[in-house]
Amino acid sequence: MNNLIKNIVCRQSFWGYPAARTLFTTPATRVKHIEISQEKDVVTVRGKTVESGREQLLVPQIKECARNGERFCPECSLGLDIKHTDVLILSQYVRSDGCMLPRRVTGLCKRQQKKIGTMVTMAHKAGLMGSLKPANCKKDPEKRYGFKKFNKYFFEDTIKLPRAICKQS
Amino acid sequence: MSITQRVQQWATFGRVWHVYDCSYQNPFDSAKVIVKYLKGMQKPIYHPMNDCGDHVVCINTKQIALPGDEWTKRAYFHHTGYPSSATWTLAWELHSKDPMMIMKKAIYRSLGGNLQRRHTMQRLHLFKDDKVPQEVLDNITNQIRQLRPVPQRLDHIDQEVIDNFPKIMDYPEDYLPKAIK
Ligand SMILES: [Zn+2]
Repeated sequence: MNNLIKNIVCRQSFWGYPAARTLFTTPATRVKHIEISQEKDVVTVRGKTVESGREQLLVPQIKECARNGERFCPECSLGLDIKHTDVLILSQYVRSDGCMLPRRVTGLCKRQQKKIGTMVTMAHKAGLMGSLKPANCKKDPEKRYGFKKFNKYFFEDTIKLPRAICKQS
Repeated sequence: MSITQRVQQWATFGRVWHVYDCSYQNPFDSAKVIVKYLKGMQKPIYHPMNDCGDHVVCINTKQIALPGDEWTKRAYFHHTGYPSSATWTLAWELHSKDPMMIMKKAIYRSLGGNLQRRHTMQRLHLFKDDKVPQEVLDNITNQIRQLRPVPQRLDHIDQEVIDNFPKIMDYPEDYLPKAIK
């Protein structure tokens, strides 16, 4: 049963538009939460859109960019200089286990995706995002093994980036 | 000599005690700053032959930070003098054995070599954490500014601050918050 649901969900919504299937007879299901309820012999699987809770706090430039059909980047659109110690910003781009989200979800340009992805890794190595770790990881950086338990910092200019920047006026 | 001049004289030649918090500081950059206070180079009366150096209390030396992968790349050489007794200890191994040694060696090295070096080192007081004896604390009258800002850990920030921080990313409509197992 679970496998069946996984197949349905993955094929139709989770992976977006797979290369093998670009033509749809029905609209792609856009879901944020799969609700499974069972009544006697009938199992109902329903996709439900859930609010992320971020709408009220979003910076206004995001909606402005969306209206103009432009890409929103913290550096290209806002001029932010993000460092690897800015955990409040970096933690918005990761999953609950601390893994960087793909570009399809973050909507960044290639350069920013690479830069923020590397800075997320730096923040993890520096032990600044201990609360965003897989369940089997040591959350306290001082309990890590060997040289990893000591404090370290990084230079952002060591990140190797592609030359092209975000195409914007 | 009037009272004012006498007090001026004491203030000029009295030894000041400075405190320096080493947490998240590079020991080699910090050493260059600390050495100036140990030698008294910040004073207008400074002269190499003039014994006008101050005391520096370094606290939290266990919390020093090295850039990048320097914990595993920096090696400390030691030779007892006997044949084949050369050892190379990595920085993180040395720091696990003695959390004050890297800071001490960094300052000792940046003092430069002359006969005054051992005496100047006597005015340096290292502590691996913030537990400093009261008789040392009583002397301290100045704090040396840290060179690098101390980063804040995400698990030390209040959940309320994290939730109310302005967001610059929202999930797309077809995003599934948790993968189905
Ligand atoms: Zn960009």
